[in-house]
Amino acid sequence: MQISLQQVVPVFFETGKADGSQLWNQTISFNKGENIHIIAPSGSGKTSFIHFLYGLRKDYFGKILYDNNDIKTFDVEKFSIWRQQNISIIFQDLRLFTQQTVWQNLEIKRLLSPYHKESKITAMAKRLGIESKLEKLCNTCSYGEQQRIAIIRALQQPFDFLLLDEPFSHLDESNRQKAMQLMEDEAAERNASIILTDLKKIDYFKSERILYL
Amino acid sequence: MELSYKNIAPFLSAGQNKASRWLSYIGLGVGVLLLLSSIQMYHNINHLIRDKNTRKNGADFISITKTITNENMGKDNRFTDTDINDLKTQPFIDDAAPLKANAFKVNAGAGDMIPFSTDIFVEAINTNFIDTVPESFHWIEGDPIVPVIFSTDFLEMYNVFAPSWDLPQLSEKTATSLQIFLRCSGQKGERQYKARIVAFSDRINSVLVPESFLEKQNKELEEEVNAKASRVFIKTKDANNPDLLNYLVQKNYHVNKDKTKFGRVKGVLQSIVSGLAGFGVLVILLALVLFSFYLQLLIAKSKDNLQLLLTLGYSPKWLSKTVAKKWIPVYITIIICTVLLTQLLHWGFQHFLMPAREELSFFIDWTVIVIAVLLLILSVAINYRLVKKSLHKL
Repeated sequence: MQISLQQVVPVFFETGKADGSQLWNQTISFNKGENIHIIAPSGSGKTSFIHFLYGLRKDYFGKILYDNNDIKTFDVEKFSIWRQQNISIIFQDLRLFTQQTVWQNLEIKRLLSPYHKESKITAMAKRLGIESKLEKLCNTCSYGEQQRIAIIRALQQPFDFLLLDEPFSHLDESNRQKAMQLMEDEAAERNASIILTDLKKIDYFKSERILYL
Repeated sequence: MELSYKNIAPFLSAGQNKASRWLSYIGLGVGVLLLLSSIQMYHNINHLIRDKNTRKNGADFISITKTITNENMGKDNRFTDTDINDLKTQPFIDDAAPLKANAFKVNAGAGDMIPFSTDIFVEAINTNFIDTVPESFHWIEGDPIVPVIFSTDFLEMYNVFAPSWDLPQLSEKTATSLQIFLRCSGQKGERQYKARIVAFSDRINSVLVPESFLEKQNKELEEEVNAKASRVFIKTKDANNPDLLNYLVQKNYHVNKDKTKFGRVKGVLQSIVSGLAGFGVLVILLALVLFSFYLQLLIAKSKDNLQLLLTLGYSPKWLSKTVAKKWIPVYITIIICTVLLTQLLHWGFQHFLMPAREELSFFIDWTVIVIAVLLLILSVAINYRLVKKSLHKL
């Protein structure tokens, strides 16, 4: 899979705001297998960019293509196919089912397009230190724990691209590295790309390209 | 493990609003039962009344006369050709034929077999209007026997008074073997004929002879013949058509109500069951609306979770199907129960209310089953469309 951007600029950007950006208003492609690190200060449109890529918002000029298909023409049904098989995401606001247990949150994603066996959920939870939380309600977990739940959930499906929107904001250094390592291992297993946005450069993320938004 | 409703059930607030859900189930059950029972009853009425009707080849044959009142007594109340042509042009009347009467006198007797003779009248009508026309019912000059079609009512009447006159009672079979002597007399002379009853008619209260016989005698025995008829038979698809009845009232025509009595009773009964069926449809619609409110509320309450499921990659089509499918077993159960109840009611009707009527089938009519299946499909389809629409709105 390839994701291409053709002169993409958010409609709400004031004139000149996109000047100097290596992504906005550029023609650029991301190929499966290469890791992209996008660095941007607050307010420069990181979350909007990730939402545009995932197809949650369409308020931009230009085109975003999945394998030469303009995603603005996709309906929810078509997106669901790409989201089940080709593209996974970790939202900055996590978007978990807070009234359900951690296990239910993970299993509902795994069942949709199973890439791993059930036992892998426990193994991943153990690796990120939330094994004891699996049967707990999600809203009883701390934000850091919820961030790790969102990471594990994103890894339950097959994907060519894994989109990360400031995924470690509430994790300590040790947990950040563990989570990053897990995601890199999973991406490598699928020969997939990670597109990670953050405020500053993350040294332990092995990226092929660094782009400034 | 394949994904099913069970997996997404915890993410929907399905457990709430139990009362409205159960109310809609009960409503649907009652409505479907009313509708199915009404359809079955409609068929039962059709079966029970069919044999008593005057219908033949899908048509009703009714005899009409002009109503005799104090005002028109003494006037000529017979039908003119214009009257008959007017009848024929009405859209609700398929055909009309006059019953031509004898202008000459007729005396009938049975010879030595039955020492009884009486003046009678004979009539003739287009054979298409007679319910029983044997091949022998034709006459040309020179034929030794005049075939006669006799009213069953007249035979019944004869058998009522025969014993008190020391006359033998007659079965239909014996009556047909009797030789009858007809003495026809008029201004121009008198003729004698032998006659034989060749059939009995339930429809026409008369002594019918072939048209050729009547016309010949009228012409040859009387000086002047007025061919106008007092009675006309009409052929119509529905004797209970309000347009027809209004027309007859307006024209001051008298209908032989006895012949249409069953048709009228049937019409009234069918109106009642049609009303019940209509009420059933209304209840079904209300139940479906109530259930659709329940579904809409369910979706509205689970809006955030459903939105997130779609964001995570769940297909709206799959979600609609799965949510709608969840209620298929409930609907199947309701429909099966109502079909069984309809069968039970039909059995009760047959055994307790109409025990001697063998024309009713033991099983409910196949159309009832077809309607039940159609209702099932309709309910599931409505649910599917509703859920799909609501999900797309999210």
